[in-house]
Amino acid sequence: MALYSFWIFDRHCNCIFDREWTLKTNPSSGTTNSKLNEDTAKLLYGMVFSLRSISQKLGSKDSFNEIKTIATAKYRAHILCTASGLWFILLSDLKQEDLSQVLRYLYSEIYVKTVVYNWLSPVDFAESANEKRGQGFRKIRNRQFLLAVEQFLGPMVN
Amino acid sequence: MAIQTILVINKSGGLVYQRDFVPNAPRLSSNEYLILAGTLQGIVAIASQITPKSLQLAGKSSAKGGNEPMGSNSAPLVPYMGTLGATTASGAPLGSFLGPDYFNDAFASWNGRGLKHVTTEQNSLFVYHTLTGIKFVAVSTQPTTNAMAVAVAENLLRKTYCLYADYVMKNPFYEAEMPIKCELFDQHLGALVGQL
Repeated sequence: MALYSFWIFDRHCNCIFDREWTLKTNPSSGTTNSKLNEDTAKLLYGMVFSLRSISQKLGSKDSFNEIKTIATAKYRAHILCTASGLWFILLSDLKQEDLSQVLRYLYSEIYVKTVVYNWLSPVDFAESANEKRGQGFRKIRNRQFLLAVEQFLGPMVN
Repeated sequence: MAIQTILVINKSGGLVYQRDFVPNAPRLSSNEYLILAGTLQGIVAIASQITPKSLQLAGKSSAKGGNEPMGSNSAPLVPYMGTLGATTASGAPLGSFLGPDYFNDAFASWNGRGLKHVTTEQNSLFVYHTLTGIKFVAVSTQPTTNAMAVAVAENLLRKTYCLYADYVMKNPFYEAEMPIKCELFDQHLGALVGQL
C-alpha cells in the first residue's frame, strides 16, 4: 500500500490541510501544510471540481452522482465530498482500488473529533466574509489532529 | 457493464463524435457534450501536472541509476482481452486489419501520465489516448475500479480507434478535425459495442 498525499478543502475552495509524503520508506518524510503546495492544491481542486460537474451531468437526474476516484497512469485520487462542502482527497498508487472507508474514518473519527469538537478551532476557515474564493491561507494546525492523522495514515504510507 | 456513451475528442479538444448506446441514458444537450469534451481535454493536462512528488523523485532516481528505462516508449503494455468484437466470420472484408480480430497482442499505452479512468457513484469513464492526440472516451453504466475492466475498456477503445482509422480517415468526404458523419463508422461501432 502506498499513499502519496492527503488533502482537505473547505467550502470556500481553500486547501485547509495538506500532507505530502516524499519517501515511501519513511512515513515521517514530506511536508505538512506547506506553502509550496498551494499551486498543486489549486490544480487538484480544479480537476476534482470539473470532473464533479461532469459526473453530475452524466448521472441520472433524481440523484446526485458523486465522484469517487480519478485514476491516471501513475496514481489514483480517492475523493470524499461531505454535505457540508468539505472535500477529503487521498492520493495513492494504482493498486488501491477503494479507500472510501479510510476517508470516511478520517472525516468521522479524526476530523470531527479533533477539529469540530475543539472549541478553540475555528468553525469556518475563511478569514472574513468578503474573502475571495481560493484566497484563504488559514490551515488546520491543531496538534491533536496532526498527531491523529500521522498515527492513522503513517503505517499505510510505504 | 454496458457502454452508455462513446465520445471522440480531436487533438485540439473539440468533440467530433458522440453516440449514446443506452436508450434510457440521461440526455445531455449537444452543447453540454461539447463543454464536457473541452473540460476533459483540460483535465488530462492537469492530471499529469499534479503527479505526486514521491513519484517524481522515484522516476528521477531510477533514470539516473538506469535500472529501468523511463520514457513514453516504455509505457506498460495493456494485455489483450479475449475476443471482444471478433465479429466477422473469416473471409468477410475487415478494412486493412487482417485476421478475425483487429489485433491479438498486448499493446503499449501512450498515455503515460494523463487521466485514464474516473469513477463516480453511477458511472465510470475511460479515456484512451492515441499518439496523434485523439482521445476516445467511453462512459459505462457501472462504477468499477477493477484493473481488468480498465483493460477491457482500453481494448474496446483501441478497436474503436482501428475503426476510426478505417472508416473515417479513409473516407474521402471526411475533413480532418471536423465532426464525424460516416455511416460505416456508425454501423461498425454499433456492432462492436453490441458484442460487449
